[in-house]
Amino acid sequence: MRIGFVRKSQFRVEFVNQVLMDLCFYVSFILTFDILYGLGGEGRLNLGGWSHEEMRVYLGMVFVADGLFMTFLGQQWHFGQDLKNGNLDSIRVRPGSTAFLYFFQRFSPEGLTNLLFGMAWLAFALVGVVPGQTDGLTLLWALPCAVAVTAWSQVFLMLSYNVVEFWLLNSDVGHLVSMLLSNFGERPLEVYPSAIGRLLKFVLPVAGMAWYPASLVLGRLDAGFALAYPFLLLGFAAVVLRIFRRGLRRYESAMG
Amino acid sequence: MSAAAARGPLLLMRMVAYEFRKRIQFRAGFVVREVLNGTVEPLVMLFVYTALYGSAASMASGADGGDEVVLGGWTYGEIIQYVAGLVVVRKLVFHNRALDLAPEIFEGRVTKYLVMPFRFFVLLQGRFLQFTLMQLAVATLAWCIGFALAPDYWLVPVSAAATLQAVTLVLMGSYCCFLVFFILNAMAFWLDVIWSLLVMAWFVIGFTGGALVPVSQMPEGMYDLLSYGFPYWMITAPIELLMGRLGTADFLHGAVLVGAQLLALDLLRRWVWRRGLARYVGAGM
Repeated sequence: MRIGFVRKSQFRVEFVNQVLMDLCFYVSFILTFDILYGLGGEGRLNLGGWSHEEMRVYLGMVFVADGLFMTFLGQQWHFGQDLKNGNLDSIRVRPGSTAFLYFFQRFSPEGLTNLLFGMAWLAFALVGVVPGQTDGLTLLWALPCAVAVTAWSQVFLMLSYNVVEFWLLNSDVGHLVSMLLSNFGERPLEVYPSAIGRLLKFVLPVAGMAWYPASLVLGRLDAGFALAYPFLLLGFAAVVLRIFRRGLRRYESAMG
Repeated sequence: MSAAAARGPLLLMRMVAYEFRKRIQFRAGFVVREVLNGTVEPLVMLFVYTALYGSAASMASGADGGDEVVLGGWTYGEIIQYVAGLVVVRKLVFHNRALDLAPEIFEGRVTKYLVMPFRFFVLLQGRFLQFTLMQLAVATLAWCIGFALAPDYWLVPVSAAATLQAVTLVLMGSYCCFLVFFILNAMAFWLDVIWSLLVMAWFVIGFTGGALVPVSQMPEGMYDLLSYGFPYWMITAPIELLMGRLGTADFLHGAVLVGAQLLALDLLRRWVWRRGLARYVGAGM
């Protein structure tokens, strides 16, 4: 983290640009949903059962997920190219998990700044939630659990997007899958047809990124599902790690 | 005409052929980047709108019922057509990752182009032309597939003239994007990293053009403001032309606005490039 701060403080304009870039993303999302909900007169429309106030909480979770991703997982954008160029050699010879050492090698202070913005928005959104839907005591345990699930899901979803590169080298498939599923995950699952919703909940658990955490803090889940779902995420992580290790066997020092 | 000027068009054609070869070299990558690019957001947008109109319809049936729901001047059927149009139109828009000028500047590789007997910009125009020709084919294919799969819902242009007008506006807007991304890439003469500027510009162009919500469905003040910018005339307006919501007078108005912005961007592009070259030492930045 210290090296990340030193490195980035040399590029102050870039720091500001990256913070602004993510803020543009956040603002465009907030405006989009403000416009959509405003179309039917304030407080009247809902999206798959999500009111405007709840949607703001949902967006807060999306921003926190994005902030976590940008802060710790920025290296994933280079995975395809590094694989092609054979740049994983120095990582593979180290005594540790290749996935961990590779994907967590960057720390981004601008990502952290945006994570703080995301958290501020989430706090603001939670204040606006209808009183009685959630309370301080619930938030005390639900919010840390929700953020932990978001972080866990981001890491293993990211890994799952990238394993494709082992088989389809230099195809950008990892980026496309990441973009596709992130896009789906940035809206509540209830807006999709039920088959897609189930796919995003149980097969490729994008739901863990924002849907489950937001639903948890808003008290929208029944207790059984709320307890069982993290185990599904654990299982998904185990499968992804296994596939990653298998993919790693295909790695050669000069693949491109 | 000088010999160098005569070589220009020939060089441009060679560049186009070269760029084509580069693009299809990695076939899986080609399919992902050129064919599937720009299809995800409209699909998600469609689901969101379906849920929104569903909510509005259930409210309407609870009230007076019967009439088709209209939100911000758009019916659900029109929104489906808009989303279909978005899939096709966005394929034609020159995107932020299509230029790689900044690394050339960072690493001091621009020098080799400066000593050649032609303008460096011709090479990049070749990239734009290749992109446009390829994406015209891809967009046509996307339209045909969409029409074959869902002929009742897909956007069918109201007339050949409307199609021509829409394509003209999209391509003019796309060239504006090309100029914007060139200028941002040229910022590499001053800045260490420019990818964040490119991504930011892409967000702003997408939102202000109507990639998330049609600009004409936005609140009035916002619409009034955004309808001066080329992104609106590159995304929302061409789709509305294809749907028959806008006419020839609107096209002419838009063409003048986008033309003026294109000229201004080109002047800015020349100025930035000249200023940048004055700082350039040929050994990387």
